[in-house]
Amino acid sequence: MMEDHNAPDLTEDEKKLFEDLMPEDLDEILDTGVNRRHFLKLMGLAGGGILAWQSAAAEQVFTRSPSGPLPDELSSATIENGVAVSFKVNGTARKLTVDSRMTLLDTLRERLELTGSKKGCDHGQCGACTVIVDGRRVLACLTLAATCEGRSVQTIEGLANGTAGAPDRLHPMQTAFLKHDGFQCGFCTPGQICSAVALLDEAKKGEASYVTESIRSKPGPVQLSNEEIRERMSGNLCRCGAYPNIVAAIQEVHSGKPVEQTWQLIG
Amino acid sequence: MQEKNKVTGTPVSRIDGILKVTGKAAYATDYPVKNIAYAVLFKSTIAAGTIRSIDTGPAEKSPGVLAVITHKNAPKLKTDGGIRGGALLQSPKIEFHGQHIGLVVAETYEQARHAARLVKVEYDKSEAKVDFEKLSKEAVLPEDKEKADAKRGDAKAALQNAEFKVEAVYGTPIEHHHPLEPHSTIAEWQGEKVILYNSSQIVNGAQNAAAATLNIKTENVRIVSPYIGGGFGSKGGQWANLVLTAVAAKVVNRPVKLALTRQQMVNSVGLRQQNHQKVSLAATKDGKLTALAHETTTHCAIENEFVEPCGDCSKIMYEVPNSLITYRVVPMNLILPTYTRGPGKSTGSFALESAVDELAYQLKMDPIELRLKNEPTRDPSNGKPWSSRTTVQCLQEGAKAFGWEKRKAEPRQNQQGNFLMGHGVACGTYPAHQRPSSARVSLNRKGNAITARVELAAADLGTGTHTILAQTAADALGLPLNQITVKLGDSDLPPAAGSVGSVGASSYANAVHDVCVKLTDELIAKSGKQFFVRPTAAQLMVSENVADYQTRVDAKPPANADQYSSHSFNANFAEVRVDIATGMVRVTRFLAVTGAGKILNPKTARSQIIGGNVWGIGMALTEESVVDPRWGNFVTRSFGDYHVPANLDIGAMEAIFIREDDRVSNALGVKGIGEVGIVGVAAAVANAVFNATGKRIRELPITPDKLL
Amino acid sequence: MRPFKFTTVSDISSATKSVAGKPNARFLAGGTNLLDLMKEDVERPEELIDITRLSLIQIKPLTEGANKGGISIGALGKNTNAANHPLIRQNYPLLAQAILAGASGQIRNMATNGGNLLQRTRCPYFYDVAMPCNKREPGEQPGCGAREGINRMHAIFGWSEKCVAVHPSDMAVALAALDAVVKVRSASGPERIIALADFHRLPEDRPEIDTNLRPGELITAIELPKNRFAEKSYYLKVRDRSSYAFALISVAAALELDGNRIVQARIALGGVAHKPWRALKAEQLLVGQEATEVNFKRAAEAEMADAKPLEHNAFKVELGKRSIVRALQVAFTGNRS
Repeated sequence: MMEDHNAPDLTEDEKKLFEDLMPEDLDEILDTGVNRRHFLKLMGLAGGGILAWQSAAAEQVFTRSPSGPLPDELSSATIENGVAVSFKVNGTARKLTVDSRMTLLDTLRERLELTGSKKGCDHGQCGACTVIVDGRRVLACLTLAATCEGRSVQTIEGLANGTAGAPDRLHPMQTAFLKHDGFQCGFCTPGQICSAVALLDEAKKGEASYVTESIRSKPGPVQLSNEEIRERMSGNLCRCGAYPNIVAAIQEVHSGKPVEQTWQLIG
Repeated sequence: MQEKNKVTGTPVSRIDGILKVTGKAAYATDYPVKNIAYAVLFKSTIAAGTIRSIDTGPAEKSPGVLAVITHKNAPKLKTDGGIRGGALLQSPKIEFHGQHIGLVVAETYEQARHAARLVKVEYDKSEAKVDFEKLSKEAVLPEDKEKADAKRGDAKAALQNAEFKVEAVYGTPIEHHHPLEPHSTIAEWQGEKVILYNSSQIVNGAQNAAAATLNIKTENVRIVSPYIGGGFGSKGGQWANLVLTAVAAKVVNRPVKLALTRQQMVNSVGLRQQNHQKVSLAATKDGKLTALAHETTTHCAIENEFVEPCGDCSKIMYEVPNSLITYRVVPMNLILPTYTRGPGKSTGSFALESAVDELAYQLKMDPIELRLKNEPTRDPSNGKPWSSRTTVQCLQEGAKAFGWEKRKAEPRQNQQGNFLMGHGVACGTYPAHQRPSSARVSLNRKGNAITARVELAAADLGTGTHTILAQTAADALGLPLNQITVKLGDSDLPPAAGSVGSVGASSYANAVHDVCVKLTDELIAKSGKQFFVRPTAAQLMVSENVADYQTRVDAKPPANADQYSSHSFNANFAEVRVDIATGMVRVTRFLAVTGAGKILNPKTARSQIIGGNVWGIGMALTEESVVDPRWGNFVTRSFGDYHVPANLDIGAMEAIFIREDDRVSNALGVKGIGEVGIVGVAAAVANAVFNATGKRIRELPITPDKLL
Repeated sequence: MRPFKFTTVSDISSATKSVAGKPNARFLAGGTNLLDLMKEDVERPEELIDITRLSLIQIKPLTEGANKGGISIGALGKNTNAANHPLIRQNYPLLAQAILAGASGQIRNMATNGGNLLQRTRCPYFYDVAMPCNKREPGEQPGCGAREGINRMHAIFGWSEKCVAVHPSDMAVALAALDAVVKVRSASGPERIIALADFHRLPEDRPEIDTNLRPGELITAIELPKNRFAEKSYYLKVRDRSSYAFALISVAAALELDGNRIVQARIALGGVAHKPWRALKAEQLLVGQEATEVNFKRAAEAEMADAKPLEHNAFKVELGKRSIVRALQVAFTGNRS
């Protein structure tokens, strides 16, 4: 799974970051010619530890997505009712043969090494697997990979790419989640953020929700109240209870105005 | 709280945040282990009896299947090695519905999941004890000595003679932790050694339990668990799935991944037990408490006892001369109950603080005033002085910030359109302890650039551990925060306490602080110089031209800590809006005021408190696991049936911390905030519902049907 | 999930042909409920026919036929698009609200209009293959787990000893109130039109059959007649959680008024029966009456008088009355708060 001949070697930035995180491993890593995907993966693993603070360099490094096709490593013997599918994931064409039973979520996680999307319930009741398909937020756990032929899938790993004006930086929603502490354990976070990003588009299109008072009004861009954001984000459960912070993060990006963070120390 | 030039106490964004918002943080099943096989568990469909026959033939023949493991062919495991809840496939005996009875390992997840459905099992059923309403009459004194009857004075007599009293039974249902990440493991054997990528609140506990159960040396088990997708107690003790993954990997001689399904979570990893709590309060006309009795009846597993301490808050919250705290427990054919956020205190405070509210109403006294009148100066349960106690400040500051004076004392006086508004208050507490933890710090200098690496086998389940430890180390070493690397969640690191019982922050931060001080001391000693002003470790690395230096400490709680009673305290204020027609309740506003010692990072601390509050709101309004008393199965097996709060359930949340400098609890004065945030919340909401509607709901959750 | 063959079709006739004579083949549209049930081994198709590429997604005004002046909604359009289509928001706001009351944003982006009608009950005994369920295991007579079990969420109207499950859809409740019809096609025979009121069935002795759709039939469109309810309608959903939960009770209410006098009323209930429950008795009592709380109450009480609650859901009778009154009030005044 790690062999990826199309992936470039580490950039200087990445080497620097790696050295900061795992100085003792750097020589070995460089000697064995580790590729970018492996590097990015390692960054998230136990070996790395956590570098305090987020330097701009770190943001850039962490948020570039790997490119190039993955080898289809499963032999056809292990795939039942194989369906060949070609689709785009984070802008990159992917082609593979899947068991007809395989969900998009399991395909991303088990076949494409995109483990950002999470399996919280596997039944469409938690939202942790939310990804954006053809511009719409959907649940990868209830989407068969076989139905994705020709579709374009965006996952958390691809969100930082392609933001107008800042192609290599975090998506503003990711930055806002960081600032507002819109998570604790982080397991629901990729789904929350994908959902929130798509929600902004839905607001621009003027789509309504169950709490929208003026349902009969002509669809057009709407300013969402916190109540609207809450309702529209209710498909993404957060068991840590970061909801107020999630709403603040989304409101900040949506309204374009800073949302105040409040706590008090008294006495 | 913020000291000059210190990063500790400042609202730093979490240092692991960037990995979490980019999807790069690797949870247990995210590791790209090569040549992996997939395991799926299958479970009993009866609650009591034995397996008569088990036909694994069709499953074994199913495409891609590598092995089917049941009690008939499972390797022998030690059943008392520290794994909770049994279900280790060691016998045909069934003790609860949904007990693991085997697992399938296959090339793909799809193949394993399908084959697990093909196993045919026949049982010899015996009568299952699953109806708590009936069985509660058979409950007996727990074996746990901590749960012996605790009497002070004569509460029963005082109650008989009381002018004002409340006697009521408060019911809380079974609840499930349901962390968003189901319990998951990847097991990879390397010779005699097994690496378990797992989700563990107690890294060393998981290591010990796995090693003992597998009958291998502790050092041959490595637990890797840097990110945990929530735990809330369910990932404190380790359950059979951890060890069974290792067993499966051994059997198929390949790495194996096993994730519980959401449905399997209800009978695999513990639960919060159902409680009947009878609380009796007696008081004088002017609100002096004269008696407090808190009698809890609950259930445990057939073979193992676990009883959450519902009477704990009642032991210490109020000055009362006559006190009675009792527990009775009945074994049932359900999975072993376990620690669940704010164990005992969250559920116990619902009963106690509802009763206090009932008493205040009866006395026509403001519930805050009633509480202030009964504030104890020492711990009433043992006479020890408080290390610090902030209940009074929490109530008074909270009342100011919340606008308590605008509350209507009489119920149903605040109607706004289709809704009745109500306001409620309730207090809470949780013990503050430091546990032994080791830590290692390594400094490295390149020219004048110095970096530090902090390592310990601590856990961060979203609590902010990585961040507060980086802050602690930065200040203790004299380094900027961005030069600190924190590595946790690996049993190869110096052993540490678990992130359980609100001991994480104090245990870890004190260990990290100690090791940084020790390192500085050692560098000073090494220099052989006398310093007028104590230099920082960072300065010493440069002045003494040291390239690399590391040291380790085994930190222990202060020797005299047990001479004091140390707890975090809070006061919770809830505003609810009840739909008059439908009974639907929304918590429109919530304020928690908390005294929890030194707040290392107000941003992450606020999230901890609000997270606890959200749990409390779930407890108050939506969460309930329901057992069918005929068969012992849960009918609430999914997030569609078990309602954890959704975003729209949560209104405006506010957190206030009371400054405290409690160096008695521990050297840094850190008390812990993971649990106290849920304590008192359900009562505050229920009291607000009473204030809104005049209906006293004593059975949680407060679903619409109860308010019609 | 059992192994299955996966086939993609691109037009209606190949779709209907591909399932003809194959009782174990299923159409796959949004998949939000079918996949959910397949993972639980409740649905066990041997073949899935992917119909998501069919062009049955249009929403358009009807210029001819019985429902002239009404609207046609493509069966394979997504729920989100239906709820936000200007014609539906303007002319059928009740339908838009009902759709938006269901599930989550993500699921509404996946679920199709036809598929929404074909959702199966969320009864936990139906979902758990370890439990007895006549709907899931027909013929073997395993019994109904919910009848004597935990039945708080279950039916108070029209249930049978065989099955006490409720239909989970919100959208269908509004469609029932609005006199929708469902257009279906099959490999053999002409297009069939089924009134929504007749589309879903009561469990009786055959709870395994949810609808009157015949084997091999494909829903192509849902049609709504023109009406004068757009000004005065409301979909109320009462649930255990503020959002993203199935209904304890839901009410689709719509009024056509002449001054304060009710010309026509439409009321349908969700969460009370094996099908969307049209409250005809209440509707009839309202016609010709003033739109007042007293009259709303009288109608609600008359409707709920026939309810037959189970052990754990007696509250639905009172909740039903109150919810009907509230929904009518909001429909009448336009004020939700």
